Amino acid sequence: MFFFKYILSELRRRRGRTILTALGLAVGVALVVMVNGLSTGLDNAQATVLKPLTGIGTDMSVSRPLKVTTNGKGGFAALSKSQQEQLRSEVGPGGGVNFASLKAGSKVDTDTFRASGNLTFSATKLTSLSKISDVQAVAGSLTLTDTHISGTVPKIKITQSRTSGGRHGGGGGFGPASGALNGGSLTTASTSVTGVDQTQPTLAAVTPSQITKGSYFTSGGNAYEAIVSTGYANSANLSVGSKITLGGKTFDVIGISSAPLGGTASDIYVKLATLQKVSGYTGQIDTAEVEAASASDVTAVAATISKDFTGSSVTTASDLASRVSGSLTDAKSLSSKLGTALEIIALIAAVLIASLLTLASVAKRTREIGTLKAIGWSRWQVVRQICGEALGQGVAGGVIGVLLGVGGIAAIDALGWTLKATVASPAAAAGGGGGGFFGQAAAAITSGTTAVKINATASIELIAIAVGLAILGGLVSGAIGGLRAARLRPAAALRTVE
Amino acid sequence: MPSTTLEPLPTPTASDLAEGTATLESIYGLSGVTKTYGSGATAVCALDSIDLTVSAGEFLAIVGASGSGKTTLLQLLGALDRPTTGRIELLGRDLTSLGERELTRLRRDTIGFVFQQFNLIPTLSAADNVEVAIATRHESSAQRAERVAELLGSVGLAHRAQHLPSQLSGGEQQRVAIARALANRPAVLLADEPTGNLDTASGSEILELLERLVAEGNQTIVLITHEPRIAEAAQRTISLKDGRILSDTQPGPG
Repeated sequence: MFFFKYILSELRRRRGRTILTALGLAVGVALVVMVNGLSTGLDNAQATVLKPLTGIGTDMSVSRPLKVTTNGKGGFAALSKSQQEQLRSEVGPGGGVNFASLKAGSKVDTDTFRASGNLTFSATKLTSLSKISDVQAVAGSLTLTDTHISGTVPKIKITQSRTSGGRHGGGGGFGPASGALNGGSLTTASTSVTGVDQTQPTLAAVTPSQITKGSYFTSGGNAYEAIVSTGYANSANLSVGSKITLGGKTFDVIGISSAPLGGTASDIYVKLATLQKVSGYTGQIDTAEVEAASASDVTAVAATISKDFTGSSVTTASDLASRVSGSLTDAKSLSSKLGTALEIIALIAAVLIASLLTLASVAKRTREIGTLKAIGWSRWQVVRQICGEALGQGVAGGVIGVLLGVGGIAAIDALGWTLKATVASPAAAAGGGGGGFFGQAAAAITSGTTAVKINATASIELIAIAVGLAILGGLVSGAIGGLRAARLRPAAALRTVE
Repeated sequence: MPSTTLEPLPTPTASDLAEGTATLESIYGLSGVTKTYGSGATAVCALDSIDLTVSAGEFLAIVGASGSGKTTLLQLLGALDRPTTGRIELLGRDLTSLGERELTRLRRDTIGFVFQQFNLIPTLSAADNVEVAIATRHESSAQRAERVAELLGSVGLAHRAQHLPSQLSGGEQQRVAIARALANRPAVLLADEPTGNLDTASGSEILELLERLVAEGNQTIVLITHEPRIAEAAQRTISLKDGRILSDTQPGPG
């Protein structure tokens, strides 16, 4: 087709101008690709930091934290009556150590499971949660503190210590009891155990991505599988293949998980059903992990749950994100504030440069365009010609720009920038009070600082958008140049000087 | 100059005229045409009340010093510009009443332009430069290629079809330009100093070609020239001075 032949020959033979215009657009496109790629990289880095907080798919977690009331004394006395009642009923029957049954000189080896920090609730609650609109998925988990007592009962009247302290006495809870036992040859150890719904790994308190050695839970199979945290594995000298005993049952250690920054790090993870059976907390959970249908639904779903589920506390991923600080978040806010501005400025500059170059080219070709009009080309045909050339430059600019941008991203990755992220402990109100009350090794949010490597990425969508922008830029400059050309008088063909 | 036989390339109208009542039929009719540039004290009157008739098959040369108004007159004849006052008829149609779109179509279908600087598109081959004039027609590319080959052959440049303008001599470039101007079988060929940028030999070739177009194709030609020998070759010479027709000499037949 003649139209294409003319455009191509113009682009080919006026190579310098073509390359210059294309480069102008390319720089703009490259910046868009790089800034967006970097921003995606920062998002990913933040997600890396936040992912272990709850699990990949978790948008919010629902729990029933112990709520300390007004007097600020702390401990059991500060709890509301109903909470005290529940604690009694939970800890009472199977939970507390039956010290009265201990006979001096006899051997003991017993595990005691207690809820840690949060009140438990029935797993049937999951069903009602899943019925809330825009809830995509729910999974339950249960975190208990296991107090392991072993050794020989010393010849001390332990019961007296118990009565003086009160069975659920405010001062030290169970602390004094174990303290008294320490005087003998009994040893106690506290470990936190979390039961996870292994059928929904993305919502679980330990996710497959956290496994550093070994493997994740099998979905069916052996009920007595355990994953232990790196810290606990080190202190207890455990490795994949080791055996641990919980509640009289032997568990196989199948994996070691990293203790993630900001994650709810327990010492041991087992399957939820198994933990419920072993601990006697049948059908109970203390946390429901909820995934919303989309990110935009999170706030509404969280509000609904708070309203419907009395006494519950809903923590959303953005609550967690707000606890992250450091150079990562600085870079993130910089990229969201400056990045967009930079992209817009770069694109405007690129289109401006392309337009000016096209206008200059039209001015230089006044006589040629005049000739075309003198021999009967319509305005539309002239505009089409100039636009077609600019479009060709836009396509070239897009391709060069994407190459530059992807190259830039590769360079950023090669530099291996790391940014620091600091995760603060949650505000020490509800959670902190609960932990303090039990004074045990409860599962807690790991706080501290981590370094995250920035891995900028260019998605296919981003590249498509970038090329589209370059083509659009070409069209805009072509339209500007074409309209100027269309206004040129055909009499310009008779000018003797070019 | 290759002795290629020129097939007649007039428009149907011109051809009808040539076969029928012939030279008496008017191609152009100008009455009271005035063109003023600028306004007020700085106004320049380029053409002052020109009355002129050009008949089919005429070979008309316009001569005059710089600033005499000959380029302005050619622009008006070529529908590239509009007169300030007066009336210009081309094939009986009043150009001053036509819109921009109709003028564009008129330029394409009825008028052929030849320029002093050839005005070929430097990035296109000789063949493509000729095709520019017919590219906007709804014809198949094969039809167009055939027409281009025919036109280039008629100006003796069939063997140079794929050369770029920069690879052609001045005379050859002007012949390509003439082929382009004839592509739509125009009723009139307008030329602005077609030999002004050529050496004597090349100029003679172009003159011969133009004469042949008149003789064999009954092509109406209006050209501007400085060169006496071109003016002499024309059947009729109009001399302009200060925007007015100084003389209109129509040598007798032969």
